[in-house]
Amino acid sequence: MSDKTPMQPGAGGAPSGPAAGAPPPSPPSAPPPKDTYTVLFDGKPIEVPRNVNLIEAAKLAGIEIPHFCFHPRLSVVGQCRMCLVEIEGIPKIQAACTTPLKDGLSVKTTTEKVVQSRAANMEFLLINHPLDCPICDQAGECKLQDNSFGYGDQRSRYDEKKRQYAGFDRTPIGPHVIADMTRCIQCTRCIRFCQEIAGTGELTFLDRGGRTLVWTHDGKPLANDWSGCAADVCPVGALTTREFRFRSRVWYLEKAPSVCPGCNIGCNISIENRDSVVYRFLPRLNPAVNDYWLCDYGRFLSESLNLREIEKASARQGDAVQEVHVPAAIGRIAEAIRGSAPEAVFFLGSANLSNEENYLLRKIADHVGSPNRDVVVDTSRTRRMKSKTAWVEGDHASANYAGAKDMGLSPSPGGYGLENVLSGKAQPEVVFVADAAFSKIAGDPEKVAVLRRARFLAVAARTANALTSAADVVLPAASLAEKEGTFTNVQGRVQKFERAFLPKPPARPHWELLLLLAVAMGFGDRNWTPLDLRRRIQAEVEGYADVTEEELKGGILMKKGTFVSVGAI
Amino acid sequence: MSEKVLLARVGRRDSRSIESYLEDGGYEALRTVLTDGWTAEKLTDEVKKSGLRGRGGAGFPTGVKWTFVPKDTKGKPVYLLCNADESEPGTFKDRLLMEEDPHQVIEGVILSSYAIKCRNAYIYIRGEFYLGARILNRALEEAYAKGFLGQNILGSGFSLDVTVHRGAGAYICGEETGLIESLEGKRGQPRIKPPFPALVGVFGCPTIVNNVETLACVVHIVNRGAEWFAKIGRNEKNSGPKLYCLSGQVNRPGVYEAAMGLQMKELLFGTEYGQGMKGGRKVKAVIPGGASAAMLTAEEIEDCPLDFDGLAAKKSMLGSAAIIVMNEDTCIVEAAQNLSKFFAHESCGQCTPCREGTPWLHKVLTRIETGRGRLEDIDLLEKISNQMANGMTICVFADAAIAPVLSSVGKFREEFRYHVERKHCLVGRGASRPELVTA
Amino acid sequence: MSRVRYSLAESGQPAEFPPEARSRIEKILTRYPTRQAALLPVLWVAQETWGWISKEAAEEVARILELSPAHVDGVLTFYTMYNLRPVGKNLLQFCTSISCHLAGAERLMERCTKRLGVDLEQTTPDGKFTVVEVECIAGCDRAPSMMINDTYHEPMDEKKLDALLDELSEHS
Repeated sequence: MSDKTPMQPGAGGAPSGPAAGAPPPSPPSAPPPKDTYTVLFDGKPIEVPRNVNLIEAAKLAGIEIPHFCFHPRLSVVGQCRMCLVEIEGIPKIQAACTTPLKDGLSVKTTTEKVVQSRAANMEFLLINHPLDCPICDQAGECKLQDNSFGYGDQRSRYDEKKRQYAGFDRTPIGPHVIADMTRCIQCTRCIRFCQEIAGTGELTFLDRGGRTLVWTHDGKPLANDWSGCAADVCPVGALTTREFRFRSRVWYLEKAPSVCPGCNIGCNISIENRDSVVYRFLPRLNPAVNDYWLCDYGRFLSESLNLREIEKASARQGDAVQEVHVPAAIGRIAEAIRGSAPEAVFFLGSANLSNEENYLLRKIADHVGSPNRDVVVDTSRTRRMKSKTAWVEGDHASANYAGAKDMGLSPSPGGYGLENVLSGKAQPEVVFVADAAFSKIAGDPEKVAVLRRARFLAVAARTANALTSAADVVLPAASLAEKEGTFTNVQGRVQKFERAFLPKPPARPHWELLLLLAVAMGFGDRNWTPLDLRRRIQAEVEGYADVTEEELKGGILMKKGTFVSVGAI
Repeated sequence: MSEKVLLARVGRRDSRSIESYLEDGGYEALRTVLTDGWTAEKLTDEVKKSGLRGRGGAGFPTGVKWTFVPKDTKGKPVYLLCNADESEPGTFKDRLLMEEDPHQVIEGVILSSYAIKCRNAYIYIRGEFYLGARILNRALEEAYAKGFLGQNILGSGFSLDVTVHRGAGAYICGEETGLIESLEGKRGQPRIKPPFPALVGVFGCPTIVNNVETLACVVHIVNRGAEWFAKIGRNEKNSGPKLYCLSGQVNRPGVYEAAMGLQMKELLFGTEYGQGMKGGRKVKAVIPGGASAAMLTAEEIEDCPLDFDGLAAKKSMLGSAAIIVMNEDTCIVEAAQNLSKFFAHESCGQCTPCREGTPWLHKVLTRIETGRGRLEDIDLLEKISNQMANGMTICVFADAAIAPVLSSVGKFREEFRYHVERKHCLVGRGASRPELVTA
Repeated sequence: MSRVRYSLAESGQPAEFPPEARSRIEKILTRYPTRQAALLPVLWVAQETWGWISKEAAEEVARILELSPAHVDGVLTFYTMYNLRPVGKNLLQFCTSISCHLAGAERLMERCTKRLGVDLEQTTPDGKFTVVEVECIAGCDRAPSMMINDTYHEPMDEKKLDALLDELSEHS
């Protein structure tokens, strides 16, 4: 639908209860379910959980009750008046969102009164609303458009001047959000988000009556860590993100379910893309991790996926650096490794890489017989995220430190890790860095110089840094958007991300580059896919036995160890 | 009823002081209740029996309202809020009561607090009543000094604190949940009901909101009995002494006390009351219950008892008993436009139909009034109004806003038509000189 | 009556309540179970202290009551009686609701603005007068009713108005 939180798995109008068209509930001899209510929608009964809003209950019955101000995670205010329905036994129409559920509640959503109230509300909302659709980013995911089309009258009887808000239209209200109060429908979702979820309370109503608008206190812009979510919850184009402004019409965007690479909370995202360009990240609903939200840091990492600084493989010949074909580059790496004693080879993985990739790297190290394998921890930037019931505290700046460790990227007995290399205690002859953007260390010339002491230094990379400049061989790697895989987050959840679009050859996903290297080293099968790698992980890695494809389906939560899968939401 | 009850002491020398109040038998009711051992329930019963209905506008039976406070409040304190936000156009009775006889109001607050077991009461007084607030505060000091407030009042074990809380200019804070929100330090935006304030009110606690005049009545119910109160007035459903606010084009506007159910014509023309129309002009229309009440025509006021049921029967309402009289020289369109300006200014802006509808009505009426109306506009006014109320909104402000529009268009359609066609008023300032007509 | 209330003005100097105001605020705080509930009364103290409520004053109130400045802004702009700009020594408030309208309130108000040479909401250059339009102030039986600062002047008429303006002009 039009909500800016797509990819609600399992949703999309299909009823999950025994209602809609199904035969009536079991005869009186069967005991009724204890934690549900029987609610009738237009005469048809359905069992609904007790703790949902009537609007959500209707959705379970396959009935759409149009609304603006209601949001499943924000307090109920009943202000927009769009959700008015008739309740049997009550003469006046009632707001569905403020009507408490009870057993036997009978709701009518198709009566004349209801139809007229919806048309009336749409007319009222549109009388002052600017005809901005042609220039408004929200078009295509706009509740006002959708509800007007679905429930409004096409004509307007308004013949007065539309309300203006000089100085509060098309103006930044924060570093990432642009506000246009002429479009605002005063639903207060943004105000409630800042108050109840972010806890920062930057937004407020000013003035009253028809002159009401939403704004901040002067000098305290909308600048909390999740300000992009205020634009998400805004049902119209009153709040939009600056980074996405005017970049694409939303109906051209394809949506790939993925996981944010910004930290190890692993918020579920949708990579919104078109023609191999990532336009934006949107949060993907996952009540146990990020719920409906996405922090600004992660959200605006989207643009970084479009960086393609290393597009071809290269190899050093003496002083000169030459472009080579990937197989040739792989061959050079394999040669260098074979030409060295196993104990003198160092394999460095990355917390940015997927479980499949880190697993494969470690398998190569095993095959070669090198005990020296490591992954770097970076706790410089930790973030927090509101799940449905609690705050999730991330503790790593990369998405998959836990997974990398689980895959075995620690020195085996007798082996050494990156710390020893950097301190000079260990001096590898061959260093293979699976991801040149593994941490800030790769941009530090002094530390890179230490790594450079090795006879042979090879990296896989997408973006250039001091390490890629120093390397003997650089393999072109693809971005997160161009591969599939799994990350293991701070809660121990293994989450799958899907590929949004194919990489631009000769760049390949890290796993594919590693696979080529493995095969060149005499291990593995050229035809392996990430699925094959996952099967092997399932079989071999402790705690990952439950990570089946079933569980990973749709990129939702899955099991690991004692954590229970939530399944479709 | 010729004797004054509520206004008995108005005009008396030094009426504001506690000394004069005590001289006149003040705080006897409080003494009776506290030292004669009345339970809260007995007091509530008396008020119920009296038939006292809220004098703020809604006319809900006061005693019944008090019973909505749960017996077991689960440790939550109960609050009594005196609604002194009097902002309904045409209403000025509470102002008079507070400025001239504050102790009557305070005694009513104390008694009512006792009835609902409240220990902290607030008098929410509109910001513009600077004088009323000062007078009340001084009277409260006097009451505390004499032991009628504070800890262990008259040795009864009942303690009560009363605080005067000033509003700051918002009509909607006269709506009980708007008042509650404002008292909590927020924008005065009315709440969704249910839950009702008696269950969840200010600070999440059981709350009763009563009008100034209603609370003043409680004093007399205790002093003279529920039966006495019930006998006054047209019938038992419309009982007690009532303050009527008469304004507009009569000879003697003012606050008048009479038995509930006074005939409209008596109020307008009676020698004790309005003494007829200024300049002998004829009545054209009367608003019987404040700006939120439907206008009545001159015919409709012929047999018109001014009480809750009497006016309900005429499809209007007693409301705040603010009778605004318009004579034959008044342009009804101009009056409707003026009223629509009030509602557009005072809408809180929360919910769509009212926020968008009230300015729209004002804009259309302004166009008609200033000669830029169209015939369709007359129907449009009715259409807009009819889709604004009856459950469409969170509170009944929208229902109030449409009352003047629907009643004026419904009963004076020809005048609207004239305005549209001739582009100026039929009567009034703009009639012969259209260029004088301004918004 | 304010037409549009969207922003606070800066006074240019930090707002610190004088001791007397501070102790009033402390007393006020004891009458309410939450700090937030004291907001309207404390804003009145601020207005009585400075004559109007600047952005700095609003921030200081927010600080004292542990509220977000945005919340205080929301309240300040909702209620019409808090002055968001400095006002003249005499705030002339003309009621133009129905009963006063019937008594010619708008004409009176127009006479006033014409004589003072200002529009509504504006202050005279000498800082003596600000003219505003307000809704019903409960003076309907003495229409047309008006207030000057905190005092009612009712019923008002043209002669009285002229005389009053003369007097206030001289002595303000």
